[in-house]
Amino acid sequence: MAAAKSTAPRRSAGRGRLGMFLHLILRSLTARNGRLGIALAAITVGAAVVSSLTNLYFDISIKMSEELRAFGANVIISPHKTEQKKAGSDRGVDAARLTEALHALPKDKLLGGSPFLYGLVRLDLANAVLVGVDFPGLRTISPYWQVQGSWVSANFDERNAMVGRRLAESMELTVGKTVTITNADRTIRHPVTVRGIIDTGDAEDDQIFVNLSLAEKILNLPGKADFMMASVVLQANEADIVTARLGAEFPDLDIRPIRKISQADGQILEKIQGLMALVAGVILVITTLCVNATLTAMVAERTPQIGLQKAIGASNRDIVVQFLSETAVIAVVATALGLGFGFLLAQALGQAVFSAWVTFRPIVIPLTLFLSLAAALAASILPVRGAIRIAPARVLRGE
Amino acid sequence: MLLRMLRQSFFEGRRRKALAATTVALAATLITALFALSVDIGDKMAREMKSYGSNIRVTPKGDAMPLMIGGVDYNPLKGRDHLNERDLPKIKDIFWRNNIVGLAPRLSLPVRIEGGKDAGAEATLTGTYFSHVVPLPDDPDYRTGVRVINPLWRVDGVWPDDSPDGGATDTILVGHTLAARLGIATGDSLTLVPADNQAAARPVSVSGILFTGGPEDDSMIAPLKLAQELSALPGKVQSVDVSALTIPENELSTKARRDTEALSTEEYDIWYCTAYVSSIAHQIEEAVVNAAARPIWQVAAGEGAVIGRIQTLLLVVSLAAIAAAAMSVSALMNTTVMERAREIGLMKALGAAPWEIHLLFIGESLIVGLIGGVIGLAAGAGVAQLVGWSIFGAGVEIQPITIPVVLVVSVLTVLAGSVLPARSIAALLPVEVLHGRR
Repeated sequence: MAAAKSTAPRRSAGRGRLGMFLHLILRSLTARNGRLGIALAAITVGAAVVSSLTNLYFDISIKMSEELRAFGANVIISPHKTEQKKAGSDRGVDAARLTEALHALPKDKLLGGSPFLYGLVRLDLANAVLVGVDFPGLRTISPYWQVQGSWVSANFDERNAMVGRRLAESMELTVGKTVTITNADRTIRHPVTVRGIIDTGDAEDDQIFVNLSLAEKILNLPGKADFMMASVVLQANEADIVTARLGAEFPDLDIRPIRKISQADGQILEKIQGLMALVAGVILVITTLCVNATLTAMVAERTPQIGLQKAIGASNRDIVVQFLSETAVIAVVATALGLGFGFLLAQALGQAVFSAWVTFRPIVIPLTLFLSLAAALAASILPVRGAIRIAPARVLRGE
Repeated sequence: MLLRMLRQSFFEGRRRKALAATTVALAATLITALFALSVDIGDKMAREMKSYGSNIRVTPKGDAMPLMIGGVDYNPLKGRDHLNERDLPKIKDIFWRNNIVGLAPRLSLPVRIEGGKDAGAEATLTGTYFSHVVPLPDDPDYRTGVRVINPLWRVDGVWPDDSPDGGATDTILVGHTLAARLGIATGDSLTLVPADNQAAARPVSVSGILFTGGPEDDSMIAPLKLAQELSALPGKVQSVDVSALTIPENELSTKARRDTEALSTEEYDIWYCTAYVSSIAHQIEEAVVNAAARPIWQVAAGEGAVIGRIQTLLLVVSLAAIAAAAMSVSALMNTTVMERAREIGLMKALGAAPWEIHLLFIGESLIVGLIGGVIGLAAGAGVAQLVGWSIFGAGVEIQPITIPVVLVVSVLTVLAGSVLPARSIAALLPVEVLHGRR
């Protein structure tokens, strides 16, 4: 078929060449269905893996920072230490002011927060530390609390309380029992029902938790709180930037990342990102090489065709240009398909691992396109160059 | 005959076979490396998670309730129970002793600081191990302390030396917020006066400023011996922080935590012999008299959640990558078989039965798959080590199970890629094939 066409009019050599060129590419793309399919599939799969992994890689930091919030609060908002000292007996700050600062944190990144107000009270049997909190907020910043019974669900509930495990053991409290909280000067006695028993292994095990409004009444500190703890999804060094900006907005408050948590978060994120980058890199290189090998085999197989073309007068340049354009067309089509599949694959991976969608990043398109094209062209250029050096006669004879 | 054909097929198409084997090797490299990493990642990340601090706290069983508000204890130190310092090595002698990364005792007392700018200020002094030698039966030079279990603690200056021979007991670290408040700098000399034991006043020197990000930033940290002398409690500690490598909690451990008695003998054995944080805590309680060991859930539970995610992440990514590599290998084999359509046609024309043709291709696939698989195993082990060392600073253990898995997967992908097209070609009429219609 190539021979028949090559006798086409020679008057306009340029047009004839172009026509021939287009014809050859069109024929090779349409006539060799089986092989074309394999080439397309190989590049498509490669492009899909590359693009989905890159997509996932760009999302990993934010997704893992969300996961790391399993460690609880990472930002603390408190009055300045020195001011607290000057104020002397007048403890705490306005809870409203703390809430205002909490809501000034970036909305989409804030998981929740709770004010804390501490005080010494007497329970039925002995003294204990009373903590006033906002229960719905506390729940979001304490995912690791092991609760027996249930959480107090509403922040206006003044009849229920949660008790630390060690305190409950020493006061013989169980879920459902009632305990009376008496304040220091014995003017207020308030019965509460134990809704849940908390086990954290830390200081909370010795404390009793009630809603802030009730704690304010019992401790006679209306509208006050000691500090506010918040859980915010922050990557790497964002913690310092966000808290510094907020600190400037609220000069009367001391807003800091909880270093112990945020430093460890940073270190873990770094490791995970490094791991993901290396794994993605290895996968990328190996997938590219695999695609490369498949294409190499396919071009090598067409050596007889190259011999024939040379025999009827095609120049080396013509052949190289033809094969490269052919490969480029296949690669572009396959990459487009691969990007589509890759996006779906990334979503599947995101759902499987994080139960969340993965954001599509435009940077993935040029990256994948470049890699696929480079792999495909590199794969075809070597065997084609090898083939055109051979004498046509030998190739045609089937060596 | 088959052997001769196999041999010829290899010598004739040497380049083609080399290409196929290389591709299989590449895919096998990928599988080996990812498989090894997936298996080992849990352990590796668990070690990294140690930067969140210790995950088990050991306290005396009948300890009085502390009434701590803002770092001030409203319950006096006197009358409290204590643990014996000489019992500490027993923690490192339990069933899961190799999972105990480190431990650090604590003994805190309120002191008044004389000297420095703000004389007379009150602060908490905590005695602990920095890098203390705790002789064990099987390792007399075992060193442990806060430097091991709190890898993120940073000191501006030098760590006090608390080695047993000649270790100075009169050097301390001062937390950076406390140091800033009282104007204390490295090299300063202070006099510490215990709040309830004026006679035991001691001069000490500040060897460094401590940055922890935790409550320690507002206190002083000293060698345990100094705190014991100041509080007149020789050989006693208040609590012990233990850092242990654990596996995420599951249903069994939750059940065990509620009530150990509710477990059947079999369940108890499984629970006891698994490195759950609760079973390690249970074993510490058994080993140390009068001790209550509790998981610090912030660290223990958080760890479990994050490690679980990372494991799934790597597993899922590996599966996707392996599938892609396998498809690539199959595609390549497909091409090389199609190319040999004429050969198959000729064989048929000369009277070869379909099973003979299949056997030839299966034999070829086996050889290519095995050669590629073996090369890939070696290369993959290398890649896994490379990733392990560059990310975690430690090698990755290659499980023996990897070897059969990789070889089987390699051979299967090659078979899938070559036997199917060979079948369809063998099913055609020889004439059609030889004429080049296919």
